[in-house]
Amino acid sequence: MSQQDQVAGRFQQCLPVLATLALGLWIAYESFTVEDPQPYLFPQLISVAMIGLSAAALFRAIRGANRTGVGIPLDLLLRIAPGIAVMLAYVLVLAPQLGFYTGSAIGFITLYSLYDPNPHLSVRTWFTRITITAGFMLVIYLVFALALQVQTPRGLFL
Amino acid sequence: MAILCGGTIGGLLLGATPGLSPTMAVALLIPFTFHMTPTHGLMLLGAAYTATVAGGAISAILLKIPGAPANIATALDGNAMAKKGEGARALQICFISSFIGGVLGILVLIFLTPVLAKWALGFGPSHMFWIAILGVTIIGSLDSKSVIKGLLAGAVGLWIAMIGYDSIQGVERFIFSEHLEGGVHIIAALIGLFAIPQIIEMLEGGRINRQYQIIEVKPHSIAAAFRETISKMRAAIIGSVVGIVVGLIPGAGGQIAGLVSYDQARRFSPNRDKFGTGESEGVVAAETANNAMVGPSLVPLLTLSVPGSPTAAVLLGGLLIHGIFPGPNLFVEHADVAWAFINSLLVGQVLMLVFGLYIAGLAAHVVRIPPPILASGILVLSVFGAYSVQSSYSDVVVMLALGLGMYFLSKYGFSPAPLVLGVILGPIAESNYVQGQIIAGAGDGMFAYFFTGALNLFLIGLVVASIVYSVISEIRIRRLEPRAGVAS
Repeated sequence: MSQQDQVAGRFQQCLPVLATLALGLWIAYESFTVEDPQPYLFPQLISVAMIGLSAAALFRAIRGANRTGVGIPLDLLLRIAPGIAVMLAYVLVLAPQLGFYTGSAIGFITLYSLYDPNPHLSVRTWFTRITITAGFMLVIYLVFALALQVQTPRGLFL
Repeated sequence: MAILCGGTIGGLLLGATPGLSPTMAVALLIPFTFHMTPTHGLMLLGAAYTATVAGGAISAILLKIPGAPANIATALDGNAMAKKGEGARALQICFISSFIGGVLGILVLIFLTPVLAKWALGFGPSHMFWIAILGVTIIGSLDSKSVIKGLLAGAVGLWIAMIGYDSIQGVERFIFSEHLEGGVHIIAALIGLFAIPQIIEMLEGGRINRQYQIIEVKPHSIAAAFRETISKMRAAIIGSVVGIVVGLIPGAGGQIAGLVSYDQARRFSPNRDKFGTGESEGVVAAETANNAMVGPSLVPLLTLSVPGSPTAAVLLGGLLIHGIFPGPNLFVEHADVAWAFINSLLVGQVLMLVFGLYIAGLAAHVVRIPPPILASGILVLSVFGAYSVQSSYSDVVVMLALGLGMYFLSKYGFSPAPLVLGVILGPIAESNYVQGQIIAGAGDGMFAYFFTGALNLFLIGLVVASIVYSVISEIRIRRLEPRAGVAS
């Protein structure tokens, strides 16, 4: 059976709706316990809707009636984890610390190289990767810095 | 004209690239429009929207990978034609059919929009509140496989829109991180929710070398393609009618239009046995339909601010960042911008035909960009796009956080479209709810103001009907489907 045909099991189906239920309860707590309720009238409505829908989804998940979504099996998680780590490092560390363009170039080539099926030990592969990264970053610089004149934050470098 | 040409060529190439949906392509283009005048920005988005829908057919025909769900039916016969060495003929027929369907659909938009807008001019806050709720429930129920999850995603989107400072009293709400002090910007939400999950999906295969089968595109006479398409007028008419009807139904989408039209054209064709083996009538039916729905799908957006499709929801975001609120007053307050946008869709169809006929062969090379390069490029573009709108790094962090959250939610059957629509329509729903409450306080009370009156009851009826219809459809589909396997 292909992954497309599979659906996540009951335990996994419960996780996201438990998260939305917790979120709904927190919004309700914040909205119904303030001194001046005026700015929280609409969030009060949203929290009630969210709690009701989450409870219904949780009930269906426990019964095994939620049959949408393939879930996240461990092998899939292991395949995407390096990519997500690169994204987080790029946005939270590289771009603010090294500079927007430098961080982006490192983020681009790291993500590209991690998932590029070509051999890592080949000089030709690395030449291609560096050329594509440099070309792409040049286009980004021309568009954002020169054409749109977007001032990007500087870190150690550009 | 340069903007329209750029938007059309860009849209064709983006639409042709597997993994890049028209919705995401338009979302990624919105930050560029922020630096333009509203008219120019919307012209770019209009041309790109038109072209991405047609461009999706290029990869459907040449690679049998539909650029968008709307092109699934096109791949059935288009790819069979390409495999026979008739790729150029299939592409030419595809773009001529797209042009016919697209123009007819936009004519419907031109003639129907002002009529509906005039009718909607008398709407008050209670009606606008119900319309905003209707927008969320329609997309939430029809765009998701699970109605409950669709509505839940819409509710989460409405809450996200509440983060930041309350617009009436300036009260701080739900700010649990310094990055949320300015609230969640629509563009950061659009890019994060549509682009980041697709980037991660491209990485799901790991380090797999995907070899696309390269199909040679041999030259073919454009005049002959015109003659052949005109000779398939029955399929073009079926496609146009189906596309227009489906387009007017909010949430139905191009995928339904293409498949329904293909099925009907096959039923009425004397060559029905040849469908699926490279019958050009199938391409004509599918492509007229999925392009004919583009114009009508914008009718509820421009007149009632209810987007008919996820891409229309993104366009709504594009309108709002330029300070243009679609709805009954659009053709009163911003008539020039609205008509420029609609006209750009029409001119975009002509440009799409011209460029489509001549650059389709070139696009065949572009669509073979390996997923790791595509994913890395979209990531960098998303970061720059989110940052450039307000020059705020918090928008980048929020964009990534929303995107990662959406990816995990999408694996459990949640769809990004209702969530995005909640973010977009949240402030509209809230401001009309608060205004209505003030009016109700001076009158007969909340219940009388929001739940009585023919128009209120009609809109509430539509909200209930959209949910009930989707629940019934979901039950029917489940009864027909064999029970799916369950992963541990």
